[in-house]
Formats: sequence, C-alpha cells, structure tokens
Amino acid sequence: MTKYKFTTVEEMPPLAFSIESTRKIPTGSWRHVRPIYKDKTSPCEVGCPAGEKIPVYFDLVRQKKYEEAWYKILEDNPLPGVTGRVCYHPCEGQCNRTFYDESVAIHNIERFVADKNFHNNPPERISVTDLLKSEKVAVIGSGPAGLSCAYQLARKGYRAVIYEAGHEAGGMLRYGIPHYRLPKNILDKEIGDIVSLGVQIKVDSRIGKNIPWGELEKYDAVFVAVGAMRSKKMSEGQRLNSSRSFGEAEGGDLKGVYSGVEFLYELNTGGSPQIGDKVLVVGGGNTAIDAARSALRLGKSEGSRPLSGKVTVLYRRTRAEMPAVPEEIEEAEKEGVKFEFLVAPVKIIGYRGKVSKIELQRMKLGEPDASGRRKPIPVVDSNFTIQADTIISAIGEEPDLSFLPYSFLKKGVRVFVDDDHSTGVPGIFAGGDAATNPNGTVVNAIRAGKEAAAAIDEFLGWRTKMDGVKQQVVQSEEINTFYFPHEKRAKFPRISVEKSKASFGEVNKTLSEEQALAEVDRCFSCGTCLHCDVCMTFCPDVAILKDEFGEYSIDYDHCKGCGICVNECPREAMELVEEELQWA
Amino acid sequence: MGVNGKDSLIHPSIDKVVVIEGTHAASHAVKLARVQVIAAYPITPQTGVVEKLSEIVSHGDLNAKFIKVESEHSAMASCIGASISGARAFTATSSQGLALMHELLHWAAGSRLPIVMVNVNRALAPPWSIYVDHNDSLSQRDTGWLQFYAESNQEVLDTVLQAYKIAEAVSLPVMINLDAFVLSHTSEPVAIPKQELVDEFLPPWKAEFKVDPANPHAFGALVGPDAYMEMRYKLFEAMEDAREVIRNVDSEYSEKFGRSYGGLVEEYYADDAEVVLITSATAVSTARIAVDEMRSLGFPVGLAKLRTFRPFPVDEIRSLAQRVSKIGVMDRNISFGATGIIYQETKAALYNAPVRPKLFGFIAGLGGRDVTPETIKEMYSHIMNNDTPESETIWVGLKQSQKS
Repeated sequence: MTKYKFTTVEEMPPLAFSIESTRKIPTGSWRHVRPIYKDKTSPCEVGCPAGEKIPVYFDLVRQKKYEEAWYKILEDNPLPGVTGRVCYHPCEGQCNRTFYDESVAIHNIERFVADKNFHNNPPERISVTDLLKSEKVAVIGSGPAGLSCAYQLARKGYRAVIYEAGHEAGGMLRYGIPHYRLPKNILDKEIGDIVSLGVQIKVDSRIGKNIPWGELEKYDAVFVAVGAMRSKKMSEGQRLNSSRSFGEAEGGDLKGVYSGVEFLYELNTGGSPQIGDKVLVVGGGNTAIDAARSALRLGKSEGSRPLSGKVTVLYRRTRAEMPAVPEEIEEAEKEGVKFEFLVAPVKIIGYRGKVSKIELQRMKLGEPDASGRRKPIPVVDSNFTIQADTIISAIGEEPDLSFLPYSFLKKGVRVFVDDDHSTGVPGIFAGGDAATNPNGTVVNAIRAGKEAAAAIDEFLGWRTKMDGVKQQVVQSEEINTFYFPHEKRAKFPRISVEKSKASFGEVNKTLSEEQALAEVDRCFSCGTCLHCDVCMTFCPDVAILKDEFGEYSIDYDHCKGCGICVNECPREAMELVEEELQWA
Repeated sequence: MGVNGKDSLIHPSIDKVVVIEGTHAASHAVKLARVQVIAAYPITPQTGVVEKLSEIVSHGDLNAKFIKVESEHSAMASCIGASISGARAFTATSSQGLALMHELLHWAAGSRLPIVMVNVNRALAPPWSIYVDHNDSLSQRDTGWLQFYAESNQEVLDTVLQAYKIAEAVSLPVMINLDAFVLSHTSEPVAIPKQELVDEFLPPWKAEFKVDPANPHAFGALVGPDAYMEMRYKLFEAMEDAREVIRNVDSEYSEKFGRSYGGLVEEYYADDAEVVLITSATAVSTARIAVDEMRSLGFPVGLAKLRTFRPFPVDEIRSLAQRVSKIGVMDRNISFGATGIIYQETKAALYNAPVRPKLFGFIAGLGGRDVTPETIKEMYSHIMNNDTPESETIWVGLKQSQKS
C-alpha cells in the first residue's frame, strides 16, 4: 500500500478517512458476547401434530420451488392434499402473527403446495435409506394413522402391508368425510403415492373375519390402526344427562333413524340415504356437521323435495363448546343449517314404524368437566317435542376391537398405549382413534402413524432412541415486527353458497399462485433464517460475510459483539452468547 | 409569487402548474431531484414535506429508500450514512428538531457530504410556538452548512434543485429555509419543471469518496493537530468557492427554466435608492409592496433580499454600501446579549469596506408576529428620520407602554 504523507493543504483529501483498510484493526478482541446464527422452532411447527417444517417449506414456496416444498412436507405427512383440505389447522392457532394482525393461512398454503404437485410423484429420495430391510410390518387399517405409519416404514426400508376391511383404502377419509370437503381423486392420488413407495394395501381384508389373526404372526411387528368407525348409541351418549335414557329399542329401530357414520358411509359409497323434510342431527362434532351439510345437499340435489332449510343440528351445550372445526360450523350456517343449542334427546317417537317426533329436554351449562368444557345439566320439567322425519345421531364414534385375540390392556373402549404407541404386547403397536390417545382428527392420526413407525424401527433394532434436542420456541414479542407491514390474511376462494349447498362438488378452492406468494410473505418465518441480509446491512463493522452459496459467516476478528445484528434480525434466527474468557 | 410574477408560469420548461403549499413544493423538488434516500422525523410545520414524500415513494413515483426514524438526530445520521455511501439524501425538519440535529450537522459538513435539508423556520421554545422566526436556523450558523432563505413556494422548489447542484459541486450540505405557515401552509401556483430538463440540469451524483464494504475504511477519522487545521481550511475554502458556484448555478438555472433569484442577493429598486432595507424570506415580498407604495410617493427607498446567509454575501453588501447612504437590516431573530444576527453580520461585512453607510438594526416578526407593509414602512421612516440609530436594536411592533 502506498504510504501517504500529507504536508500541505493541497495534498490533503477533503475529508478524514483512514488511509489503510480498517480490516487491519482486529476489533474482535473487544468482544465479550458473540452473535451466532441459530435457527429456532416456530410455534406453528409445535402446533402441527404431524410436525411439518412449516417455515422451511414456506421459504421454498417463496422461492417458487413448489416441488421442493412438497418434498419437505412429505417428510412428515404423506397426505398434504387431504390435510390441506380437512385439517383443523392447530398450527394457525399458535401462529405468532395472530398477535400482530391475523394468523398466516398455513392450511391454505399446504393445500396449494399439494395441488401444485397433483401430477407429480414423490421422488426416490423421499426415502431416508436405500437399504431394504428384511423385517415386515403389518398395519391394520388404511385410515390416516395406518397410511402414515406404513408410509414412514416404507421410507425407512421396511416392507409394510396394510390390511383394510373395506373395499377401498382410506378409512374415515374415504367413508367419513363428504366429497364436498375432500374430493376422492385427491385421496386416491395420495394413497397412490404411498403405494408407489412400496406399501402394499390388501383391501377387503378384515382381520378376524376373512383374514385370521394368525396370518399376522409372519410379521415382525403389527400396528393396529382400525380407527373409530362405530357410532355411539344415543342411549350411551346421553346416559349422564338424562334420567330417562332410551335404548336402541326405544326409537332406534324406526325408519328414518341413522347414525352419522352410517349415513356418511352410504353417501360416500354411492348410495343415497332416504331422508325427509325435517332432518335433525344430534351432536356437535365434525361428523354431525358433515352429516348436516350432506343432508342439506341431498335434499337439494334430489330436486323434487325442496328442503327449505329444514336441517337442524341439536347440541346439548352451546356453540362455544362444539368440538367441530369453527370454519365448518360457519360454512354450515352460511348454507342454511339451523342450530338448536342446549337440548338433549330423550326419546324418539314413531308412527307406523317411521320417525315422527323427538322428545327433547332443555339443558343448562354447569361447571367445566374433564374436557374443560362446561357440562350440560338437564333443566327439570323442560321436556318438549318437535316434529321430525329423519334423525341422524352423531354423538361420537368408537373403535370396534372385537377382532383382537389378546386380552389387551384397554381403557374404556380403546387400546391402551404408551407414549411410544406400544401396547404392552411386544411387537404390537396401536395408534389413531383406536388407541387411548386420540382426538379424532386426521392430523393426530398422521402423527400417531409417524411416531409408531419410529417406535417400530426402534423395536426392530435399527434405530436407537434419540432424545431430540428441544429447541427454543420463538415467542411473538421476539419478532421484529418493524419489518412486517400489516397485511390482510389470504381469503380462500370458495364457490357461491347457492352453488355449494346444491351439490357435492368441492366447496373451497385452492389459492391462486399470486395469493399463495403474498401469503407466504406474511409469514414471519419465526426462528428460520431467510437470508434477508438485514444482519449484514446493519453490521457496523462489515463483519458479516456472505459466501457464494448465500450462507452467512461472521468475521470474529472484526465483530465487536455490539449485538445490532441480533437485535435487528426480523425473525429471531440469531442470538448472542457469552464469550468464554481465556486468560493466557 | 415574488419577483418573477405571472410570466414565470409560462415557459417551455414547465411540465405543469399546480397550486400547492410550500411544504409540498419541497417534496416535488425532491422527487424531481431523484433523491435516493429520505429520512425524516415529523414536526409541525414541516410534516407536509415528509407526508407528501412518503406518498410519492409508496406510490412508486420515486425510487427512494424512505427511512422512518425515531428522532431528528437519527434522521440526520441516516442521511449521513446514505450520503457517505454515495446516495443523494434528503431530510426536512424545523425548530426543535433542527436543534436536536445540531451535533450531526457538524458531522455532515465535516465529512463534506452534499446532503440537502429543508428547514421550516419556526420559533424555538419556550415559550412554545409553532410560528415563524429564524433563530432556529441561524443558531446553526457555524456548522458548515450553506443556508438559503426562500421567498415563495416556487423559490422553494427551484432552490432545492439548485441546492443539490451546488452541494455536490462544493461537497457541502445545504439547508433551505422557508417561513412556517406563511409559506409552509400557504398554497401558491408553482411551476413544476419537466423531469427530463431537471435530469439534464442535475445528473446523478458521483461521489468522489464513499464507503465500500468490500474495502472498509474509517470515515470521519481522528486527525492530529498536524492536520486538523488544514482540514478546516479546506472546508472554509469550499464555502468561499460556493459563492461563485451559487451565482453560476442560478444563471444556468435561469437559462434552462426561466427563473432567477440573483445568486446570493437580489436587489429591488436599490440602484437609485438612498435608503435600502436588507431582509430575507417572506418579509421580502411584504417589503416589495412597501417599496412600491413609498416609491409612488416619491421616497427613494430600495430593498436587498438576502438569499443566502451562509456563505454571507459580503461582496454584494459592500457593493450596495457604495451606492446608498443608509442601510436598514430587518432581523426576524435576536441574539441575546448582542443584536439581530444579520445586522451583526452586515456590520462586520462593512467594517473594512471603503464606504460605510449608517446601519439601522430592526427586530420584527418574532414567533409569528405579523410583518405587514406598515411594519416595513415604519422601518423606512425611522431610517429616513434619523441620522444615526437610536439604539443597536430597534424593536418594531413591540407592545411597549412608554413607546411613543
């Protein structure tokens, strides 16, 4: 470097700056704290039972790498087209953006990604290993838990065989969810993808009926995922609430009485259940809402008998306690389903073998029960009768475990399982709605399948249990919202109410690419670096460097540890750690 | 409209004529100057400048980085950062906001950065006031900033455009002052020049020295006693050079856009006047009316509009002194323990001059007190009726019980 020597005004530059580069001065020695890049967990990931890496696949969507985004989801969930439509999206409930304006429409982005890849097949590399293992695993039931487990086992190199009692795979996804919420081509596509990875599905194979339990003995492990496909009887459901319960005989055999599961099964297998003008649906869960909205459509689509809004849901608590997804309740209301709260059925009254009336009792809310919801208490002498010609009872489902040969530990009507889905009988695992840790949702069943696959892998000796390092979850106040202008959440497109209530065609549409890209931009990407360069821009010492691959590194010879980068990081993907002082 | 009258609204350089407030005239000029970084903190009566700019930037009409800041100190710091990396930078403030910037005003000038700032002149508190006087900007006299005072909204726009050209030529920051409310919130017709002509007049700035992350250097570095004086001398020299640059830029502007403001000082009926009043900003247009009226009655009065305060127009004032017998100075400011500030400077400019007419120093219009043609006529009368001033500060319009 040229040595400058100024002696006169004329030789001097107009302003004072260092002649040599400040790189010469190792200011890093001033530092007592050091910034580091450290990705953290976003609350949505914690909220997603399937554990999808939401900020990561969002970033891929942001970069329009839709296939890559899909692969990222597939690591945790083989059914994004399904969950993108029917999931109750607890992820959104945890979203940090909720505290700022509105949660990010994660659910709609998941669907967008799945639909963008509708014509693609999952690649070989979705498998975690090339090694084909000799162990075979049987899975009973091809609902979301069974599919998820078999899929994850296949990814790990196992041969997984699913035994399905029905004529087609899918379980509740196929037989329980109406077409207007989940078109069957979506389900078929995703089941097809799972099969293409080597999972074998044997349909029409009911264990304990046409397939003996003994056949399963040739397998090294079994996962029981038969779901909860049997509707509870009204008498059982109401036992606690009514002094005068009624049994099946008392009205249950009348023409015009269905269980929710039966009703939806018939619809989903191409049947057309006979319903009348005055349809009453008993229950407050998703099955009740599905049945009510389907009944509405059935009336309309038949054309000859206008229903004139005569589908009413009867629920013994209030709207706030309804377990159904709130959006579904709203949609049902939009389409004209009526709701009657704080009523419980006492007796169905028939005339000439057909339903004609139902006797109901008024309820009021008492103290919260074990579920945390306020318990309904009957109001004395409040019984009344209303006209009805169709009654659909959807007060909950339970598993049918009559095929199990062992005296399994059961709790209530379900298989008792440990946290790792083991049953106590070595090699037999259970999960989903058939087991003791259900919550009746698709995504929890997917999680159960994934966790069980990991437990089976471990049981078969291929995987050692690892305690995952618990990453810190980013809190809303840690987001530097300065970088995020307020933006409206994407509204998913839907067909008109007039159209939707008159057919079984899908109600909700996929976000347009433009909408999806705007929506991913709303994501704070809590704890996941997006390479936004804010740290680099703000570093007063030019101590943050970016390599040819776009990755950052910190030049600790010059970083003074001022912490501006950490403070400015919009998404808490950096942190300051104490320097270990070294005394020579 | 001031000096150029209605004719200034018809010229081939004009894109359109709009009726806008003084604050918005500044915003339009910033857009035309293709400023790249704007950082400002809102303060009455400057807010309109920044409000309009935020709209212009958010509508995509100006490709600039608009930095929201938490104080005027940060606003100037941001402009310094922008300018030192080679970007054309702008800020606007007023009164207390300008006072808060003080430390960084020195920094900007010492770093020789051609930042342009609009200051809406507002009296300093307490007592609290939002109305015009000039103590805020005159308090920044020794920071190394050039200071212009505008008489009309058109002059605000034109001076902002000239200011970038001057600033970038001499590597010094420029402050353009306009009177609170009298200009800032008063709508006047303003000719907006064609963008392509402004682009020709004001090409992109190419900084001679700028920060480069690839090769970091320390700016504003420590220099020893062996060099500090020379660095200051260079700044002094640049300010001296600015006089000629201001004159040249004004005539170039006049050729291109048809409007001229006389460089540092514009005279009005001063050639054959016996008594001349020196003043600045909007009081000048009021004084024009007073002069017209007094001339029609046969009084030999004239006017000198002080357009720049820094650099101080010493040559122009000395030239004036050779032609007239008495000079009055109207100060819309007061330096406690001394006199009006422009009065002091005028006296200082004349002390070593070959001809030294009698000087009368008036204080008027503080904190938004109206300056009317009558106020100005009172000053002319006082000068004409007295051989020497009765005191070094003559307060005009003061509510005084003993005053006759």
